[in-house]
Amino acid sequence: MSDGLVNMTQRRGFNLKDGGQIVGVLIAFVVICVVASLVAPQFLTSYNMTIISRDLAFIGIVAIAQGMLLLLGDIDVSIGAIAGLCGIVCTKLLVDAQLDPALAISAGLAVGAIAGAINGTIITMFNLNSLVVTIGMLSVYSGLNLWITKGRTIVGLPKEVTVLGGGTLMGVPVPVYIMAGVFLVILFLTTKTVYGRRLYAVGNSREAAKIIGIHEQRVRITAYAVAGALAGLAGMLLCFRLVSAQASMGQSWLLPSIAAPVIGGIATTGGIGTIWGALLGAAIIAVIGNVIVLGGVDVYLQQVVTGAIVVIAVALDAITRKMGRG
Amino acid sequence: MSLLEARGITKRFPGVVALDAVDLRFERGEVHCIVGENGAGKSTLVKVLTGIYRPDEGDLHYDGATPPAIGYVPQELNLFDHMTVAENMFLPLGNGALFRRKALEKAAQPFLKDLKMTCAPDDMVRDISVAEKQLLQIARALASRRSDILILDEPTASLTATEIERLFAIVEELQARGTAIVFITHRLDEVMRLHSVVSVLRNGCVVGNSDGEEVSEAWIVSKMTGKEMDLSTLYRPRTPRGDRVFRVEGLSGDGFEEVSFDLHAGEILGFAGLVGAGRSEVLQTLFGMRKPTTGQAWFDGEPWVFNKPARAISKGVMYLSEERKAHGIFPHMSVRQNVGAGLLRDVARLGVVSDAREAQAAAKIIGDYRVKTASADTKIMNLSGGNQQKVLIGRGLMANPRVMIFDEPTRGIDVNAKDEIYRLMQRVAEDQGIAVVLISSEIEELLKCSNRVLSLYDGRINAEIAAENLSEERLLSSIINTGGAFDATTANREEAHV
Repeated sequence: MSDGLVNMTQRRGFNLKDGGQIVGVLIAFVVICVVASLVAPQFLTSYNMTIISRDLAFIGIVAIAQGMLLLLGDIDVSIGAIAGLCGIVCTKLLVDAQLDPALAISAGLAVGAIAGAINGTIITMFNLNSLVVTIGMLSVYSGLNLWITKGRTIVGLPKEVTVLGGGTLMGVPVPVYIMAGVFLVILFLTTKTVYGRRLYAVGNSREAAKIIGIHEQRVRITAYAVAGALAGLAGMLLCFRLVSAQASMGQSWLLPSIAAPVIGGIATTGGIGTIWGALLGAAIIAVIGNVIVLGGVDVYLQQVVTGAIVVIAVALDAITRKMGRG
Repeated sequence: MSLLEARGITKRFPGVVALDAVDLRFERGEVHCIVGENGAGKSTLVKVLTGIYRPDEGDLHYDGATPPAIGYVPQELNLFDHMTVAENMFLPLGNGALFRRKALEKAAQPFLKDLKMTCAPDDMVRDISVAEKQLLQIARALASRRSDILILDEPTASLTATEIERLFAIVEELQARGTAIVFITHRLDEVMRLHSVVSVLRNGCVVGNSDGEEVSEAWIVSKMTGKEMDLSTLYRPRTPRGDRVFRVEGLSGDGFEEVSFDLHAGEILGFAGLVGAGRSEVLQTLFGMRKPTTGQAWFDGEPWVFNKPARAISKGVMYLSEERKAHGIFPHMSVRQNVGAGLLRDVARLGVVSDAREAQAAAKIIGDYRVKTASADTKIMNLSGGNQQKVLIGRGLMANPRVMIFDEPTRGIDVNAKDEIYRLMQRVAEDQGIAVVLISSEIEELLKCSNRVLSLYDGRINAEIAAENLSEERLLSSIINTGGAFDATTANREEAHV
């Protein structure tokens, strides 16, 4: 859905640097919002906006993490489980060990980075398919989550941290600020730094990247680690929001984490798109999810609708891309 | 009437005449060898014969009531590795709804026996030897269509001497049974061994056609050469060559053996050879993309560490891949970003890329090498092949290299852009004293640009030809390894080492 519009805007003088490719997604987002406000009068209320933005905060962070990997032509379907693992570890440290919150959160981030780096190392060292490896690791990490929690919910988080998940600042939920920070940092990382150039280069062509001396393994493992840490951050925020930790946390993030970047124009084959796309894609998914609820769609049908929208968006993207080429 | 006769076949593609009024006859029980350089029109001819291309002029005649069945065995192995021998032979299995394994295997037996293959019909293709795979492709061509004409495209490329003999015995037996064999090859010894008729193609024309006594390696070479080459403009560096940069001794690896040579500053050293002779492999090993098995090298007199490309680059060794699209450009990035990706040390400070510096570097390359692009922010995939190549060369040169390895630098590039790239190679060798390696399959290119040419055959250096001895005939002889070149080899290497 993005690329057809990309081509149009490029002809008018936009280009990748201007973020021109994102214009199409932005238009789609605005259209969806307009339709939503017409269909459901409650959509534009400030209460509803708070709900959407909080959803967006969590989906946004994992979408940005997955978006980085997709830019490389990689994927990590275990980031939801990694998020859960980090949330559980952090909660345990806070509740059982009474650890200082800053230390516990740092430990959670470290667990996420290590888990991601393990995935990346296995994939790059043996040159394996990232989808297959991370499906395996998804089982490993969710199994760990069950084992650590013994299937029970851990409660008793201190106030200092629950405010990070549930509090608001100037009417806006705190996680939204954190997600915005993550977005800015990763946007800077991918577009302005040496590392970002290497990331795009490897995503465009691993062979060409090797020939000009880029250590593609290092670049990829780093991205997996960063994605793992970000997933961990999202997982911990979710614990703080729920004031508890349980094994199934993060499981529902798999679909949006992949769908959001793809809707936003990041190609799964790597090298195409920007982190803007991950953010806007996440926003579209958050809004659609909200509209389904407001519109009174049967709870049990919601998954069907979200899934179908994702598939349609991907197909549209492929079709417009083909037409753009012809 | 012949079994199949091509009369006045002409096939044009935009900008080239691939086949120009070709007349050829194929008779029962005859081996018809077709020889010619890369681009002489051999594969176009095959595609016309097998009906993939429709000729622009001329037509095919046959003496029977129906056109003869033609079996084609491509050069590359084209099999399903994880299926059985019998399945490979009979796919796509006709119209029956049920798959009857036993019947299939029984049907395969006579063909395997005919070709003296030792594998069983139910063996997995992945488990049989390369030679058997090659034979299986022939069996498939025979089994699926009961071919009257069998076209073999360089069938010996991956076979050992004894396997080649076995193949020849089979070819002769098929010949005795009345099959017409079309044998496409680069190897003149095979032509001499097999031929009953030889046709030489050059620039889309049949320039030699003989079934007679006069056929000899010398006759074939004389027919293959003599292409009108414009050698009035040479791009060989004219300045005397500088110090030795690389010394390579007895380097062996996957695809090449015992390769030794010197590379000097300010020269263009050509690497000639057939596709698969091991040229790219040698240089890629030096560059760190492949691992050597044995051998040593010295760079500026210091032992060279075979490691990763990143290390070679840090020493000033650059490699431009022959696969420009797959291994050269970053297609979805802009020209500016493509430049920047290769010069990150120069365009970034503290890990942050300076857009201004990157744009400056890109502008310099676009200006210096006259790259035709709408802007530096255009995606590089929208540039022509020649302009993409100029961006990559410019980027490599900006890093002040000592050695530049050009692997087929003009593949898929139009004629005018070719000259620009030759001039560029000459300029960097002369002005900056860069040691240039030119790997090329085009004889004309090697003649125009090289101070010296090393020729590889089957992974070994079989000739080193100095500029004063460079001629088309000499080079071609060494590339296809005719007897004469071997004698010249030793003499040349002596000369060159003085």
